[in-house]
Amino acid sequence: MSFPSGKTVRPLRKQGAAVPAPKHGVSTPKTFIFMCMLPWTAGFFLFTAYPMIASFYQSFTYWDMINPPKWLGIDNYQRMFFHDDLFWKAFYNTMWISATSIPIRIAFAMFSAYLLTKAGKTRNIYRTIYFLPSMVPVVAGTLIFAWLFQPYFGVLNLFLEKLGLISMKNPPMWFDNPGLSKWSLIIMGLWGIGDTMIIFLAGLLDIDKSLYEAASLEGANGFQQFRYVTLPLMTPVIFFSAVTGVIGSFQYFTQAYIATGLTINGDYTKSMYFYATHIYETAFQQYDMGYAAALSWFLLFVTMIATVLMLVTQKRWVHYPNGTMFK
Amino acid sequence: MKKKSLLAGLFAAALLASGLVSANVAQAANREIVVWMPQGPTRAHYKLINAAAQRIEKKHPGLTVTVVGGKDMEVSLAAINAGNGPDISMANGAGNVGWFCGTGAWVNLNKYINGANGVDMKKTFTPAAISGTKSKGVTCAMPFSSEVFGFYYNKDLFKDAGIKRAPETLSELKSASQKLTVIRNGNIIKAGYVPWATYMDNDMTAQFLAAQFGAEFFNSKNKSAFVTDPAWEKAFKWQRNFIADVYGGGNFEKGSNRLQAFMAQAGAWWSSDNDFNTGRIAMLNHADWLGTLFCNPDWNAYDCNTPDVNFKAAPMPVADAIHDTDYGRGVVGSNAMGISKGTDNMRDAWTVLKELTTELKVSRDWANTFGAVPSLNALRQPDAGVTRPAWMLPFYRITSHPKSGYHRLLNAGEHLEVDYLVELFNAWQANDLQGIGVSNLKAGLKQAADKVNALPGMR
Repeated sequence: MSFPSGKTVRPLRKQGAAVPAPKHGVSTPKTFIFMCMLPWTAGFFLFTAYPMIASFYQSFTYWDMINPPKWLGIDNYQRMFFHDDLFWKAFYNTMWISATSIPIRIAFAMFSAYLLTKAGKTRNIYRTIYFLPSMVPVVAGTLIFAWLFQPYFGVLNLFLEKLGLISMKNPPMWFDNPGLSKWSLIIMGLWGIGDTMIIFLAGLLDIDKSLYEAASLEGANGFQQFRYVTLPLMTPVIFFSAVTGVIGSFQYFTQAYIATGLTINGDYTKSMYFYATHIYETAFQQYDMGYAAALSWFLLFVTMIATVLMLVTQKRWVHYPNGTMFK
Repeated sequence: MKKKSLLAGLFAAALLASGLVSANVAQAANREIVVWMPQGPTRAHYKLINAAAQRIEKKHPGLTVTVVGGKDMEVSLAAINAGNGPDISMANGAGNVGWFCGTGAWVNLNKYINGANGVDMKKTFTPAAISGTKSKGVTCAMPFSSEVFGFYYNKDLFKDAGIKRAPETLSELKSASQKLTVIRNGNIIKAGYVPWATYMDNDMTAQFLAAQFGAEFFNSKNKSAFVTDPAWEKAFKWQRNFIADVYGGGNFEKGSNRLQAFMAQAGAWWSSDNDFNTGRIAMLNHADWLGTLFCNPDWNAYDCNTPDVNFKAAPMPVADAIHDTDYGRGVVGSNAMGISKGTDNMRDAWTVLKELTTELKVSRDWANTFGAVPSLNALRQPDAGVTRPAWMLPFYRITSHPKSGYHRLLNAGEHLEVDYLVELFNAWQANDLQGIGVSNLKAGLKQAADKVNALPGMR
């Protein structure tokens, strides 16, 4: 092998030659790699795999955390489907928030990102401003929104009253109204879409401008350019946001739990009672760890089904520039 | 041969001696008792318990008592479950004792209390303090200090309204409330008394009502008494009538709406902006320690010469029919302490628990530091060295009433018997029982009772 300079480079090892034996006391690369992986692997088995296996076993038992688990067979799963009204309430609420909030969040994030693409030189400033709310701790953000949504002196209702849309004699009760409470949570969630918006912004900026020029030459108007250029090319981002959104919404807990605690009527209709809340209350208020484990396994099962369904159906609507997400 | 035998004998003796020594060393090493408490090492609570631990060590040579702060009951329970919990843990409340006893997280102390090194509970502690230490006849905790719930009223507002003393019956409470309430243009400006669950950030309303109506949470069969004890239905109906008459001119819906608008504008509870400090409400039921906030923003029980609000405490008003027998009672809890399941030195753990909960000095220091009501009978005498803030004296009297105490505790998870009743209360006071899927109060009480009875520890 030679370079234009004329220098010859000696190959590291002749083809087929035996690997020289390691010097005494020096680890082989394989051992070194194994040692590097060991902390993570040990952590995975100790803190993820083992608890998962243990919780699967516990899901067939009654376990109060103090006494040894008592074997119940499939009783916990039967109780879930046939004897626990709160399970269905929590499941319905979770499905509702998932089905409603994810499309709205995606649309809102995409629209915000689109506006940012038009911002020109000030884009970075606006991007930072839009992203900032995502950095606010969830608890603090929820407390702030509880004040904004406060029926009698909250900014939102005062603003709506100024516009003549509501009367303060009978104001919308937001978190205190079972019909509005979940919508209030969704509105609150839109405030923190900064992370999703950043991904959409990257996706939008990645679209080749020549495609728009070509579409324009073909006579496509703004909407048609969006429909036939932007949207198809953004489907991988939409797909990613949908999958992570579904997984996240199935675990929806903190905001609803805090908002419930701030209501005047304690949300007695359980309109903000989600699946994760049910798991939490079963585990840490009833101390019924076995049933909580069964609930958790069912959640994992539903999450997997939803994810697999999306992965399967993506072939029909997600357009990867290189053909597939795996290339 | 003789030499060999002698050597062998010496060797055996040496082995035996070293074995005995090492056994003694091991035993001495095992004589450490670890105490976990919720308050962290920088808090005065920790310092007092730690000082008591040092006194116990001096009194019992060879015993080491290690106090660890900042460990609340959830952490403690997880550790007990994992088998590496403390020997003794302190709960900042009595509510969970039913669960600790029922599951055995805290061991049964009956044998030790009644043993040679035992404690005469009735002679040592107030009946109110003892009530929060047992479940189904099993005592699994010892009381330390008391948390007493009573009635506060604003003396200035009372004077302005021409009311001379605290109400003792619920009729008097309603009458006083009507005089104290100010409604302008359909808005409540000042409220006399607000009987609304969730108001004031606490879930005690159900327990207050139980005390005020003499209602029981559990019946003699250890099942929920929400249906079998008629006092609950009376209590719920009284609340609605009160709201209708005081705030709605006889119309509950109107009164409820006005009250909700009023409560929505409440000041922050755990600050001196709360509605009692600012004079928005004239009366409320709450704990002895909240009075320290009415005294001053620093929560100092002894700095009450120029209080933020001119207040006085009294026992809670009770239903007219039970005034003669029940007036003066209140809800009383305590910082219960128990010994963990799995402790490897039960004898020393009991010694330490007994010392911590019965030593006069630590309880006296605790009372004098925080203004808390002691649970020890010996400290209730005027010459016992406990400085009692004058405003707190009614709370002392409440703990003397034979019916004062915590409600009977069973293994209902994290005292869910209270939570389920509050849930019903929320629907009831919103005039929306349909919202929880029932058509009337009786059905609502049955639903709440069924939920309690279905809890794993209650089955």
